[in-house]
Amino acid sequence: MTALTAIRPAEPAPALSQELNGILHLLTCGSVDDGKSTLIGRLLWDVSDLYEDQREMLERSGRTAGGTAHPDFSLLVDGLVAEREQGITIDVAWRYFDTATRRFVIIDSPGHEQYTRNMASGASHADVAIMLVDARHGVKQQTRRHAAILDLVGVKRVILVVNKMDLVDWSQERFRAIEADFSELTLRFGFREVIAIPVCSVSGDNVARRSEQTPWYSGPNLLDHLERIPARDTSPTGSFRLPVQTVLRDGVDFRGLAGTVTSGCVCIGDRVTDVLSGQSAHVLRIATMGRDLESGTQGQAVALQLDTDIDVARGAVLAVPDSLPTVATHIEAELVWLWETPFDERASYLMRTATDLVPISKLQIKSLLDLETLATQPTQTCALNEIAIADIALGRPVAIDAFGDNPTTGSFLIVDAVTGATLAGGVILAATTTAETAATSTFRLTREILEKGLCRDLSDDKADRDEFQRRASEAALLLRAAGVPVKLEI
Amino acid sequence: MTAPFSHLDLLEAESIHIFREAAAQFRKPVLLYSIGKDSTVLLHIARKAFWPQKPPFPLLHVDTTWKFKDMIAFRDKTARDLGLDLIVCINEEGIKRGITPFDHSPSVYTDVMKTQALKAALDQHGFDAAFGGARRDEEGSRAKERVFSFRSPGHRWDPRRQRPEMWHLLNGRLGTGETVRVFPLSNWTEKDVWRYIAREGLDVVPLYFAAKRPTIERGGQLLVLDDDRLPLQPGETPQMKQVRFRTLGCWPLTAAVPSTATDIEAVVAETLAARTSERQGRLIDHDQSGAMERKKHEGYF
Repeated sequence: MTALTAIRPAEPAPALSQELNGILHLLTCGSVDDGKSTLIGRLLWDVSDLYEDQREMLERSGRTAGGTAHPDFSLLVDGLVAEREQGITIDVAWRYFDTATRRFVIIDSPGHEQYTRNMASGASHADVAIMLVDARHGVKQQTRRHAAILDLVGVKRVILVVNKMDLVDWSQERFRAIEADFSELTLRFGFREVIAIPVCSVSGDNVARRSEQTPWYSGPNLLDHLERIPARDTSPTGSFRLPVQTVLRDGVDFRGLAGTVTSGCVCIGDRVTDVLSGQSAHVLRIATMGRDLESGTQGQAVALQLDTDIDVARGAVLAVPDSLPTVATHIEAELVWLWETPFDERASYLMRTATDLVPISKLQIKSLLDLETLATQPTQTCALNEIAIADIALGRPVAIDAFGDNPTTGSFLIVDAVTGATLAGGVILAATTTAETAATSTFRLTREILEKGLCRDLSDDKADRDEFQRRASEAALLLRAAGVPVKLEI
Repeated sequence: MTAPFSHLDLLEAESIHIFREAAAQFRKPVLLYSIGKDSTVLLHIARKAFWPQKPPFPLLHVDTTWKFKDMIAFRDKTARDLGLDLIVCINEEGIKRGITPFDHSPSVYTDVMKTQALKAALDQHGFDAAFGGARRDEEGSRAKERVFSFRSPGHRWDPRRQRPEMWHLLNGRLGTGETVRVFPLSNWTEKDVWRYIAREGLDVVPLYFAAKRPTIERGGQLLVLDDDRLPLQPGETPQMKQVRFRTLGCWPLTAAVPSTATDIEAVVAETLAARTSERQGRLIDHDQSGAMERKKHEGYF
């Protein structure tokens, strides 16, 4: 019996014919060599309905994880030839497995700094993120960068997996120190739930079974924790939104505004409004092929027939009259730059929202997030992997929401008008209809204000200058969190 | 409120969303119809996405002339019943050159009869987007595929130049000479496809159900003889065996599996209990390490 067959699960995972109750999208991220692919490979090996030929592929390879007798579980995950050869993960890989009641989607994202954009795109699809750190190295700059990206794209639940605990002799002190560093880091962000788990992926300790090496750890193992997280919430939250994708007709009297309900729900008889045209009508029919629905709920793809033919086209966002999207011509947004071509103020850009595509008349970078200190630095440039605050003036009005209120209608892409490339992903912090209101409603947090108040106890030496910087960005973050648009001028 | 949706409801809604986005953003799309179970689901969802209209694009089938006869009959009936335009493209040049799946290596055969034929058809008709039924769970390089997969002029796929996809936003703005392959079933698994076929009561090619068929064993795989074009090797005698297919392609390159599943419920049960992945039955993928990735670089789906 080889080491591999010895640890093969005795019984295959139960195969159930019923439809699964929801889907949990799980992102994994961390620095290079923290062992992401190994962790996922191990999870697949231990608990998923992995196919026999995939298990045999691992056996045949004869490869072992560096310095151990355990097989190289990362082979189950790393798909591209270039990756297998270089031993790194260069692109987001999607994996699927089922437990008894749930579909898991694993979004495996790259650790290399040069592929941060792929991590950002992967994270935008996630309900929960696993962040890996090597127990020997703890929280690194890349951990901060990733936490900032998770926060930007709207991930609310984070699991810190402290991996390779065997290499620090399962030291509780070491684990607690990393956990404390991470808590301090995550306090700055809007995460709803943060947990740390001590793990050794190669041996499977605290992955899908409780480790005997960590008697001092009373929390759940990784799988138990994942099973307890509620799947993506498909019960309606927020106000009704339906970005119109296309208009469908039957050639007689049916004119259906087709799209996916991105939040809330709508019922027959409800009054809906298109903010762009300012017109309203009542819902007559909620149609799908085969049957009509009484209500259209968040996540459903439908076609709405209205009682009066209002002039609605692709790009419109249908909403309820008491909670309308903003008709915006100016927005303040946070961006992550995704492409090799850096921001160029002379270039032509377009903004793609849920279903609209509008020309950008002026894109102005205001500041960059320094991923070392998490402070913002005023600047006018932005390049690959950088996170920026920007002002965007649009060539015509667009219907959007603040990301915090409504993520699907509050996010956008910046598109190169010439090449079509997706240059940046962004979330809307504030949206206004004219330039003037944008200028006056933004709070300018200046050096003078800070010196007179919050920072008056600080001197001009190096340590105090750093502390000044820290307090300034903290204050700006708190104000933004409270919904006040802030411009930091220090 | 309403009960939470099942994962199939969520997957279906996502696929409809992708179809509608692509149809709105691209000038001239086409649906790559390969007759198998994935194409069956793809076409059904295309109909749902645009109902009460017909899907606003034709079907395109790349016919290598080595498809099972049952597949061709099913293809023609499907297009006729639904009233959809069907474009069949065959690489006549390849046939003149005598390219066959057993005289040539799987990679040469696939390149000439599938990849070249597909590229020629896309160019000839000027399609800027082609829907395909590929799923990320099929194979390693597919696991990294985007929903909108961009191809540079010449239909080449460069995994390092793919556009990031964030949230539900799909950016279909094309650069000069670019085309796109659209994969609405990206997040489906083989099990989902069968569960969905059963749920929606969809017709599939009868080859997916077990029946007595003339088979030979070659290289550890069971081949079903669809006609007399495959030269038998010494010692090979066709035997009637109860078999079915998990995946359909060119018959000399597609392995059957012994099975007693003669109806959809039995197929679903067998699929859910399966211990090997479906591409095990596709001989072209075992040709060399990274075969699928290389084929994708060259423009294969």
